[in-house]
Amino acid sequence: MRDLPAGAGPLELEATPFVPQERYQCGPAALTTVLLASGADVALDDIVDRVYLPERKGSLQFELLAATRTEGRLPYPIDGTLAAIRAELEAGRPVLVMQNLSIALMPRWHYAVVVGIDPDRDRVVLRSGTERRHVTSVRTFLYTWRRSDYWGFVVLRPDAIPADVERTRYFNAIAALEQAGQLESAATAWRTALSVWPGDRIATFGLGNVHLAAGDYAEAEHVYRELLEQDQSMVVARNNLALALANQGKFGAALEEIERALNQAGDSDLAAELKDTEQTIRRMRGGD
Amino acid sequence: MEFSKLRGAVVRFASVTLIGMGFVQAAPAAMINTGYLVDAQARAASLARVEVLLARDDVKQQLVKLGVDPAIVAQRVKGLSNAELMQLEQSMDEQKAGGDILGLIGAVFVVLIILELVGVIDIFKKS
Repeated sequence: MRDLPAGAGPLELEATPFVPQERYQCGPAALTTVLLASGADVALDDIVDRVYLPERKGSLQFELLAATRTEGRLPYPIDGTLAAIRAELEAGRPVLVMQNLSIALMPRWHYAVVVGIDPDRDRVVLRSGTERRHVTSVRTFLYTWRRSDYWGFVVLRPDAIPADVERTRYFNAIAALEQAGQLESAATAWRTALSVWPGDRIATFGLGNVHLAAGDYAEAEHVYRELLEQDQSMVVARNNLALALANQGKFGAALEEIERALNQAGDSDLAAELKDTEQTIRRMRGGD
Repeated sequence: MEFSKLRGAVVRFASVTLIGMGFVQAAPAAMINTGYLVDAQARAASLARVEVLLARDDVKQQLVKLGVDPAIVAQRVKGLSNAELMQLEQSMDEQKAGGDILGLIGAVFVVLIILELVGVIDIFKKS
């Protein structure tokens, strides 16, 4: 079930950089490899400082994802199948995977980068540890990968779309980039998403939010108004529209919008957040 | 859009200062982040899929056989957290991969998973 469909020939991204790991530091080495492959300008030493925990002699999964975002790149988790790896390799992206090289009782966790697959000759090729070209059988690879619950991700440039894109997962990835404060990359990513799903409400909302967070209030107002024209019941957009207005000094209009949002939200969970926004705007205006 | 039952969902507010690479960007207080909407929409879609299952006759019959009112179960599913809903969907996906979810065993299994999650029974011991 995790095998490749028959007939797929060999494929190897030979140009993938090789970053040999130093003692225990497979996480930084693997991450540097995929970041360099995505065109990011990084050095192993910097990545070590950001994702390596000396006391644990290792790196945590979420740290690898967070460090990817810090580079303005989008970490996208792949499905745990060889077909998913293959699809990303075909798009020119090596895949960072987590493995357990030992047995479950004595786990030896390891990060490596899949750069090639050759189903006919039963081979998976990895940049792994101090080996530039670690070749293993498909069966062995799947066995070691399974014990990490098939954990793996690719590093996307913000203008790239995952090979087998799953909308919610992709949008979550972009939203996380936005929250990490990588506003320029997040804006590019939302625009890229809009090229796949034109007029998508979440992606449009995301673009508005990036403008709002970046302090482009007039631009943010414009995007939220467009959204509300399509769907006037979109309370979250109205909340942020009110903030965009207040930040331009249009307090009257801002309070009007938030009142309307409060009416629309009724007693839903959003009501408390809207009231919070109302107070924020009143504070900004001064008085009350 | 159903927002009323977003209990347990992470409401993300960028009222904190976000620190990026070499610059500091302060998002306006009380801004609702995009992640909130992604979660809300994913939840609505999950609920819709589970509700389709619950509306099936074979699933309803199994529930009645177990002495549970399908309407009450449907009500409780709405109260599941996002993580629980995800768990439910994952279990159902695994069933699909293993065989025909429309078969009787599939229906029984779906019913048991749902009942487990809504807290009616406790038969699946987590290892």
